[in-house]
Amino acid sequence: MKTADLFGTALTNTLRSKLRTILTVIAIVIGAFALTLTSGLGAGVNRYVDTMVEGFGAPDELYVSKQADMVTGMPTNSAPAEYDAEEAGAGEMFGMPLLTQKDVDTIEGIEHISEVETTRLVEPDYVQTADGKKWQVAFMGSSFETETASTAAGRMPAEDADEVTVPLAWVETLGGRDPEDVLGETVTLVASDPLGEEGSVEAEVVGVTETLASGSGAGPVPSVKVEEALHEIQTEGLPEEQRDTWFNATVTVQDMEANEAAVKQALADEGYTAQTLEDQLGMIRGVIDAVTWVFNGFGLIALLAASFGIINTLLMSVQERTREIGLMKSLGMTSGRVFGLFSMEAVVIGLMGSLIGVGGGLAVGLVGNRLLVDGPLKDVTGLQLFAVEPLSVLGIVALIVGIAFVAGALPAVRAARKDPITSLRYE
Amino acid sequence: MATAAPPTDPAPPETPAGRPAADPILETENLVKSYGQGEARFDALRGLTLQIGRGESVAIVGKSGSGKSTLMHLLALLDRPSHGVVAMDGRPVSELKAKAVAQLRNETFGFVFQQFFLNPAQTVLENVVLPLKIAGVPRSERRRRGMEVLERLELAEKADNRATDLSGGQKQRVCIARALVNNPTVLFADEPTGNLDTATSAVVEDILFGLNRDEGITLVVVTHDEDLAARCGRRVELQDGQIVSDAPVAAPAAGAAPGGHMATADGTASRAAVVGKEEDR
Repeated sequence: MKTADLFGTALTNTLRSKLRTILTVIAIVIGAFALTLTSGLGAGVNRYVDTMVEGFGAPDELYVSKQADMVTGMPTNSAPAEYDAEEAGAGEMFGMPLLTQKDVDTIEGIEHISEVETTRLVEPDYVQTADGKKWQVAFMGSSFETETASTAAGRMPAEDADEVTVPLAWVETLGGRDPEDVLGETVTLVASDPLGEEGSVEAEVVGVTETLASGSGAGPVPSVKVEEALHEIQTEGLPEEQRDTWFNATVTVQDMEANEAAVKQALADEGYTAQTLEDQLGMIRGVIDAVTWVFNGFGLIALLAASFGIINTLLMSVQERTREIGLMKSLGMTSGRVFGLFSMEAVVIGLMGSLIGVGGGLAVGLVGNRLLVDGPLKDVTGLQLFAVEPLSVLGIVALIVGIAFVAGALPAVRAARKDPITSLRYE
Repeated sequence: MATAAPPTDPAPPETPAGRPAADPILETENLVKSYGQGEARFDALRGLTLQIGRGESVAIVGKSGSGKSTLMHLLALLDRPSHGVVAMDGRPVSELKAKAVAQLRNETFGFVFQQFFLNPAQTVLENVVLPLKIAGVPRSERRRRGMEVLERLELAEKADNRATDLSGGQKQRVCIARALVNNPTVLFADEPTGNLDTATSAVVEDILFGLNRDEGITLVVVTHDEDLAARCGRRVELQDGQIVSDAPVAAPAAGAAPGGHMATADGTASRAAVVGKEEDR
């Protein structure tokens, strides 16, 4: 029998006892559905994380920050660390110690580091618009965003001009309807020094930013000049060495692949933590993958149960069709082909189950993703909960067909071993 | 039922070495088939030698348990002998590999069984072309040859019907069509009329003997039915796994009265003809 005929015959045979086939297929559908949905979710969330973090830097960059010694303010059993006036005075932001000029010099001195870019963070107290109203600044952007942010109108601020951009959400507050309406307006950014003395910087709105998945553009982005001015106000009155502080530093490493470990080690020896973009993503990915695999485990258990369904169905089928097997063998069908016919039936069942299940999983995943992203989770920019990866979809189908084939082997061997004469006499 | 046979003793074990056939298509030599081991051992055939000539029509008769079915299975290469040889066209075939035997069966034999073994889920045509499908013949040629043979058996208009929608006689004609579709040289019929009424039996018999007469297909019929056996050219009777009589039927003609024809062609006292109707199934 030709393979195409074998497949055709197997297909017709599985459709002969429809109810039984449907019930067996349902079990596989459940497994396939679960696998497709969870692996799609894993892929989607991972992709979201990627887009969220992308734009934060190039692969040859390391993000360096000072290691927080201990979680301060928590009771510990450790011995006290030696007091360092400079370090203590440098201050912290978001619980992370700030980098001083001395730190930057140290970092610059490490081998293979070609460039150090520092990032300042300023926190204005409020923004005053032309009409005299004051507005809170929940999230302040940073001048390094000028390279990555995308504008809905206007342009990004020039380095040495008194310029700023505002996020799209601010347009109405500034009295405009379209993003273009607010271009050219002047806003006053007000910050205060440690003693509460206020100082202000005036800046012209030159652009309106869209919020990217990475968070870039979610707050006003100042020019370097405006940022420096605000920093001056905020650190007014502090000793000189404490005024020159940075939130973190981005260092460019020559030949990252070869020197990554050496540079990281050197930085760690000096008391800094350094992470590549990949390191930062890796941790998040690890968690997502672990969760995905737990759910995939449930899908696989469903498939395991389904495979017994296949065995059962086919054993019944072999029993019922004993005389048919006897006839086919007496008409010259070889045992190998009889085996092929029955395992092909298992494969057909597996194929039907996996196609329906995978199709259902994709449909539910894509529609659900759309509903959630456009509905309750609309505010999460760039959110993607479900992604289709053709390779993993094919992998799932192949896996299920493989399982079905293995499950079909036992009944198929039984069919193949049948003796034609006894089978023809079977009542 | 009269027993017309002379009261000869049952033939001794080393009886007839078979009638020498001019052009033997199937031969057996000292064929032994036993089932089971030790105490439970049962010998279905005890050293049976037989030759079947090309174009012959042979009836194998005997009581239940005489070994006639076993003999047919061995001749048709559905089973392997415990000892002895089955040869086809002078070539020993019983020891060939399973795959080669399967191919030989597919290409040279046709089977008609008492039960029809038609697949109820398939159409008449699909049932008929099963041997071709097994042989790997392409679909279009399968259909052509299937329709051809259905036409010969006047079943062409039923080709697309379900096999279950047919009468008993029609079903057996479908089975004959299936047996013929691969142009076999030997047709094995196991109680071909066992499930049919008299009138339908006659039609089926006419078809079978017509094929034997007109197309030279060798016909091997295993039957209880003496009427059917009497229409064959030769009658081989088995008892306890041995041939007790082997003789041509004098006048293989339609409607020949059973038991009326004694044949002593080769001089041996043949106990041809009627053994009476055996117990019905």
